Amino acid sequence: MLTSPAAVPTSAAEQVARRTRRRLLACVLALVALAVVVVASLVLGVRDVSLPVVWQALTDPVAGDVDHRVIAGQRVPRALVGLAAGLALGVAGAVIQGVTRNPIADPGLLGLNSGASLAVVCAVWLLGLSAPSQFVWFAFLGAAAAAALVFSIGAGQPVKLALVGATVTALITPMITLVLLRDQQAFNLYRFWAVGSLTGRGLDTLVVVLPFIAVGAVLAAGLAHRLNMLALGDDIARGLGQRVGVTRAVAGLTIVLLAGAATSLAGPIALVGLAVPHAARRLVGTDYRWVLLLSALLGPVMLLGADVIGRLILPHSELEAGVVAAAIGAPVLVAVARGKKVSGV
Amino acid sequence: MTTRPVAAPAPGTASAAPVTALRRHRRRRLLLVLAVLAGLIVALATLALTLGAASLPPGRALLALFGVGDDGDLFIVQRLRLPRLLAALLAGAAFGLAGALFQSTLRNPLASPDILGIATGASVGAVTVMLGLGLTGLAVSAGAFAGASVIALLIWFFAWRQGLHSIRFVLVGVGFAYLASSILAWLLASADQREAASALVWTVGSVADVRGTELAVLGLGLAVLALVVASIARWQAPLGLGDDHARGLGVSTDAARVGSLLAAVALVALATSVVGPLAFVALVAPAIARRLVDDGGAALTVSVATGAALVLAADVVAENGLLGVTAPTGIVTGLVGAPYLLWLLATHEKRARA
Repeated sequence: MLTSPAAVPTSAAEQVARRTRRRLLACVLALVALAVVVVASLVLGVRDVSLPVVWQALTDPVAGDVDHRVIAGQRVPRALVGLAAGLALGVAGAVIQGVTRNPIADPGLLGLNSGASLAVVCAVWLLGLSAPSQFVWFAFLGAAAAAALVFSIGAGQPVKLALVGATVTALITPMITLVLLRDQQAFNLYRFWAVGSLTGRGLDTLVVVLPFIAVGAVLAAGLAHRLNMLALGDDIARGLGQRVGVTRAVAGLTIVLLAGAATSLAGPIALVGLAVPHAARRLVGTDYRWVLLLSALLGPVMLLGADVIGRLILPHSELEAGVVAAAIGAPVLVAVARGKKVSGV
Repeated sequence: MTTRPVAAPAPGTASAAPVTALRRHRRRRLLLVLAVLAGLIVALATLALTLGAASLPPGRALLALFGVGDDGDLFIVQRLRLPRLLAALLAGAAFGLAGALFQSTLRNPLASPDILGIATGASVGAVTVMLGLGLTGLAVSAGAFAGASVIALLIWFFAWRQGLHSIRFVLVGVGFAYLASSILAWLLASADQREAASALVWTVGSVADVRGTELAVLGLGLAVLALVVASIARWQAPLGLGDDHARGLGVSTDAARVGSLLAAVALVALATSVVGPLAFVALVAPAIARRLVDDGGAALTVSVATGAALVLAADVVAENGLLGVTAPTGIVTGLVGAPYLLWLLATHEKRARA
């Protein structure tokens, strides 16, 4: 034999070190990508603003300068909303996929977005709300109700969970439409909200939902190790001393906090939560500590990236981030569905 | 020795007496079910002609249908209610037949144009024509037909990988449904408010405002497609047995599946282009039909009847404001159909566990 017994541990340690280096590299690259999209989202748009002017607007703004006003009043809030919503969607998607052991789970796919939409529409119709910052609580309530319904019927079976989610969406859609047909005011607010966009949401909404995102992110970080055990199956996780029910409950709370927050920030955005964890898993493997971290970085990259693409793709207007994100995410879902893993289920 | 019908020899050797008895029993059951459904449809049709903004007594409504009565009655019945009634029946029949083909071909009770995104694709096509090009009438129908066909072909193209796997087909469909609905949301958001509101009504589907030419297109198209389906229906039962058995019986499974699915997509595109996507009819009608007759080929016929009855009943409910508001037909079918699908999913799991 060429390899001496003593060499085996070193090479194993080397392998671990190499894998860690690879994972760190992926995170650094994701950070770089994040920086690029943040800068792009500040610089690019209908009115292109050069980088030095952006810097000046941030550090030493001149009152009355149009460029500075655009940066401070529109682009910075938009970038911040994109960062927060993207992070929430990416992490929520990773947690859902982990806790359901389901490669095709996502807040939109599971009907959470439509539940939030119905609650918001009813609030506009019955209570006469009109400001997005007032929608927050209803979005949470609706997302939680939809999550409870979907998980109670579809828990444990990956493909079925996606179908139950699609069905709940299909059940809620006519209810939403019924309200919209009765109430023109609600329709007018809803159609701009439903497309999923980073514009028009001021910093006031962000301030309201930021604590929820923070709590959700901390809970998700705490879940990482439990999700790793759960990936081995319920029985093994139980054998390793995990209380699976507790994990499920905490994960459910995390998902509702993050997805509800993202939906109240940016409207019902589908497929970001689906695509991001897949990309993350490609880069760092199946360890949920790394998948969650990288999803938190790649979520904003995808959402802000979609937002920037949407600004550039049409000559004189914008395509909303939600539409572009769905156009990026749908091929990912199709690719996953074509993969061996799912067709075997 | 007497053999029970279930233990009878292969269907090819049909001379055994128990098989004949079983067939006679099935035919009797099919005729009974069809008779009951026909009675139900006649009753619902009478309701549809009678009830409405101006309600006529049933006798007067039926006389007006055959050209007897004063001008007001004739106008209400022949010009307003009859086209609506026919649209409901034809669209329901088309959705029912399409759904039965989808479900038996993909061997999945959940396969329906609503879940697969074909309905949303039709909406995108129609709303693009309405809002983007500012056209109405047949152009909208053409747009819907194109939208449904394009998305069906896309699903097909991406779901095909060494044959057509049914779960893959459904999941790829779900993916395209999300893409289409986000495009739809964008179209509605970027339009003028009043135009957006009428487009919203279209995306729900209604049999209320179907004109003569559209009705003729729907009727003719349905007749042609029904003939096509009748000629390929003998493949349906073997397909339901699974690919291996079907191949053993000499059916080319891929060809049979392609033929059935093409017919189903054409039916959905046709009906949707005229009345809009009536949610869940294509899903619920065949499911009810399978409960009534437990037989592949016959279920197609019964699905046609259940689909027609369902849409007619939904339209009577929708038109007469039983939801507190005069709603498009599709809202009623959606509110009835989605809970049924949820129930199906919930009980399916229990059965699988047991």
